[in-house]
Amino acid sequence: MSTGSARRKFRAQARRQLFSFFSSLGTLLGHRLGTMMTVLVLGIAMALPLGLYVTLQNLRGLDLNQDEWGAITVFLSSGISEAGVTEFAQQVNGRGDASAVVISPQQGMEDFRKASGFGQALDLFDSNPLPWTLLVTPQITDDGELGSRVASLATWLGEQEAVDIVQVDYKWMQRLSGLLGLGDALVTVLSIMFALAVVVVVANTIRLDVANRSEEIQVLSLVGANNSFIRQPFLYTGLWYGLLGALLALMLLQLSIFYLNRPLERLLNAYGNSFELDGLGGLQVMVVLLAGGILGFCGAWLSVQRYLRQLRVSGMIGRT
Amino acid sequence: MITFEHVSKRYPGPSNALLDVSFNLDVGEMVFLTGHSGAGKSTLLRLILMLEQATRGQVLVDGRNLSKASPNQAPQVRQRIGMIFQDHKLLNDKTVFDNVSLPLIIAGMRYADIKKRVRAALDKVGLLSKEKSWPLTLSGGEQQRVGIARAIVGMPPILLADEPTGNLDPQLSRDLFGLFRQLNDQGVTVMIASHDLSLIRAMGQRVLVLSGGRLIDDIPAAASGGVTR
Repeated sequence: MSTGSARRKFRAQARRQLFSFFSSLGTLLGHRLGTMMTVLVLGIAMALPLGLYVTLQNLRGLDLNQDEWGAITVFLSSGISEAGVTEFAQQVNGRGDASAVVISPQQGMEDFRKASGFGQALDLFDSNPLPWTLLVTPQITDDGELGSRVASLATWLGEQEAVDIVQVDYKWMQRLSGLLGLGDALVTVLSIMFALAVVVVVANTIRLDVANRSEEIQVLSLVGANNSFIRQPFLYTGLWYGLLGALLALMLLQLSIFYLNRPLERLLNAYGNSFELDGLGGLQVMVVLLAGGILGFCGAWLSVQRYLRQLRVSGMIGRT
Repeated sequence: MITFEHVSKRYPGPSNALLDVSFNLDVGEMVFLTGHSGAGKSTLLRLILMLEQATRGQVLVDGRNLSKASPNQAPQVRQRIGMIFQDHKLLNDKTVFDNVSLPLIIAGMRYADIKKRVRAALDKVGLLSKEKSWPLTLSGGEQQRVGIARAIVGMPPILLADEPTGNLDPQLSRDLFGLFRQLNDQGVTVMIASHDLSLIRAMGQRVLVLSGGRLIDDIPAAASGGVTR
């Protein structure tokens, strides 16, 4: 008998939920313009930290090419002869822990002309201003001490007579990695700030909604609705706002990626990198939607709770 | 069914809204509550609906001591009471059908059953043809009857009405009171606050007379023909 009554209660509860669900949808569709504006604000607010996050993810993808981590560019002294260059390259290769590739001034000029787009400017020079260059790549070992090995190799190279300047890209990568760390922190800070903004925007929207429907709330309460029944449609509305906002944010993000991909590809090609901007994965999309929904729900909850308390205090729906 | 034991209600201010009011209403009884405006009729009804709490004394409704009940129990109490308001309290952005169905939706009833019950209630007040209308397109009397349909649709054991004939013509008022009596005959406990003395007299039911927050008279049924102001 008691299981039967429990089942009956559960069914009644389910029907009430269903009613609130459709009633909240009806409210949203009833005020299309208002709903759209709110969702737009939420979408943009959520798109900003998401955009930064995706940017960072892509930058991190860049430095995964470990061999480029260790690349050292060695500019040789201007007075050196071709034979001297070859000899020095052999000397580097002879160390056994690195390999050197020679780039002649002519070849460097060609590469630069192709990659930079400043070809015509180069014609202004009477003679080729580029020095003989060695690209030195440390051998990859898995001892994980790339940093220190690159450093010692660079020091040795710098001490050689034939060498003018040693440029260690590793340092640049170190800085990038530092920047990425900073970016991560920035994503966290921005996410928290914009999450708060989402909660506040939804709370404010729901507050207006509740205020507009205070008469309905009063009537519902008078005919026996409990707080949870009165609350439900508003909570669903908040959930919808959050979900729709997150969906819009994802769409904005995808649109931006689509739009940025072409110019970015051109830019990176100029750096000799082939590259494709990645969006968010399926799991990440789910997380974003879920987070949006939860934030909207929380905003609605805060607002409704406050307002119900006010109504109660003012004696409209019950005694104090 | 409804018992007041030495109930006083005091709002902030000099005078009492209710002062030492005691009466008992048995199951299936029908009673009129009368008195000048400001005599405490509305306060008395608000106490029964748990919209207010008595300052002193005890209010018992349907076996529950409202003076000791927490505000969370108000919905349960109100679900057992059909309340008819002077200003109807209809939702103007919902159809007549949706308005009347509210108590059943709150109870979580099946839609098929809701439909049946709402139609039956609307039929009872003679508004079955208006189920898809909007409240504002109806006359005052029709809106009042929608409010009545909403009050009786859940078949509550108690029916309260606050000036239900406030802006109805005499013929409609008589019909309405006839409907109340009919519900009362089916076992519903009915309490009607009204100052329509001629109608009250004609009904010949028990009458409680309030004045300045005090219960100054309790006239038993059939003797109420002699009520004067």
